[in-house]
Amino acid sequence: MAATALPRSDTGPGDRQRALAQFLAEASGAAAVEIGRIELLAGGAIQENWGLDAEFEGGLLSGRQRMVLRTDAATGVPSSLGRVEEFAVLQAVFAAGVTVPEPLFACADKAVLGKPFFVMRRVGGSAQGRPITLDPALEPARPALAERLGRELAKLQTVRSPRGDLAFLKKTGPREHIAAFRAYLDLHPNPRPVLEWALRWAETHVPDTLPPVLCHRDFRTGNYMLDGTRLTGILDWEFAGWGDPDEDIGWLCCKGWRFGRLDREAGGIAEREPFYRGYEAESGRRLGPDRVKFWEVIANLRWAVIAMQQSDRYLIGGARNLSTAITGRRATECELELLMLLDPAGAKERMASRA
Amino acid sequence: MRDLPASLDLLALARELLLDELLPLLPPERHRDVRLIATAMAIVAREAAARLQSQNQVLLDLAQLYNSEKASLSALQGGEGGDPARSAGEGEVGVGKVSGIPHLTPALSAPRGGEEVKNDAARQFRRLAADLRNGAFETSPSRAAAARATLWRLTIAKLREGNPHFLAANGFNPAGEESA
Repeated sequence: MAATALPRSDTGPGDRQRALAQFLAEASGAAAVEIGRIELLAGGAIQENWGLDAEFEGGLLSGRQRMVLRTDAATGVPSSLGRVEEFAVLQAVFAAGVTVPEPLFACADKAVLGKPFFVMRRVGGSAQGRPITLDPALEPARPALAERLGRELAKLQTVRSPRGDLAFLKKTGPREHIAAFRAYLDLHPNPRPVLEWALRWAETHVPDTLPPVLCHRDFRTGNYMLDGTRLTGILDWEFAGWGDPDEDIGWLCCKGWRFGRLDREAGGIAEREPFYRGYEAESGRRLGPDRVKFWEVIANLRWAVIAMQQSDRYLIGGARNLSTAITGRRATECELELLMLLDPAGAKERMASRA
Repeated sequence: MRDLPASLDLLALARELLLDELLPLLPPERHRDVRLIATAMAIVAREAAARLQSQNQVLLDLAQLYNSEKASLSALQGGEGGDPARSAGEGEVGVGKVSGIPHLTPALSAPRGGEEVKNDAARQFRRLAADLRNGAFETSPSRAAAARATLWRLTIAKLREGNPHFLAANGFNPAGEESA
């Protein structure tokens, strides 16, 4: 999808463009910045990502630059982090050696574009989940990609609490997740016995506490860019916070993120083994199956709640949108997965009874 | 109990999208086809609305979980279950503390009208949800197994209606009877 105007405002796109050029010039120490092509990139429901080409006259970025400007979408829902905070997280993980687009400048001043934003370098490739899991051309590269993702995850977990530059990040442990899911279910008109059953299991199987690390909280296929077979950037840091080191592992492996390849348990791209191997080699920590299982249960619960929240926009918010409305139905897929994870004997029995 | 948004609501949204947004994009010679599709959708909607959705099997599971065989048979036949009344607030998720001693609610044994069955089912599922949250079945392996069987039956039934492909992709029979 392409567009040629920046977020609309009273002052109009031309003024916005001039204000943006001036901001970029000041931030980079350039004598002047000339903005060329601007296009709205596909895929942002909560955030808008604008492809932005500009010519810098001197300063830190002298020459022609391809960038992405990230800001809130007009119809966005509140997310965990604001854009300036997300920028700080991106800076921290970039410094830790995680493969992310290089963060360049953040702007909290609403006078420039009408809302806060940040600018990062534009990386090549695509993040679409389905081609990444299904394209035959990627077949030989997938195990290595899974191993690389394991290493990336271990690197991002070297960012640890407490940190003055990330003091705004909240810590969310297993009990906080469980309480939040229950609070949501209490407000929902439809009871969900399977989710309640799984929450009870989670409540009675909370693993030993490990020191909190940075969690991406949406680390999965569909949120990393591949240029051919090359990983070019891990995206969308808006849900980041402090948490358990196995939380992101459970999220990437949970069935909801396998995009048509349910058999490939590491994000629909590979077996778990190469992903775990990469993670263990980089982090020096062995993964325990019970801990990962716990976090996979939490991942499915979270997936279910997010799906229901999507259809709440229709059920409660009145949004007449078929795609949003129908997403709520996917919560039942999570419920089947929870039953399969927590009652494998029951699953086997019912599969055997198929006639 | 089915997922929300209800299928009839989704159908209404889909019909709206078809008539309001897609129809104007098509050449006039295909407008009749689109209207036919819209008519077919309307017929399905009317029939679905008129049909009393059968929830007897899952309700029977619940009846057996919560009380005697007698109660469940009585419920199926629309008679009196002879079950004790619930205490105030019991079985409501998020409303105070649940006693953990489940009873068959009077609602299940009431005469079975369409809306009533729907409301009864919702009450029953709310109660089951509350009991599962509080671990009410955990001291009895047989009741815990019965609760699990209900969850399986409910989930498989919902996916058979809503997403049989997902069920099949996970190794389950996407159609027909499933033994609990």
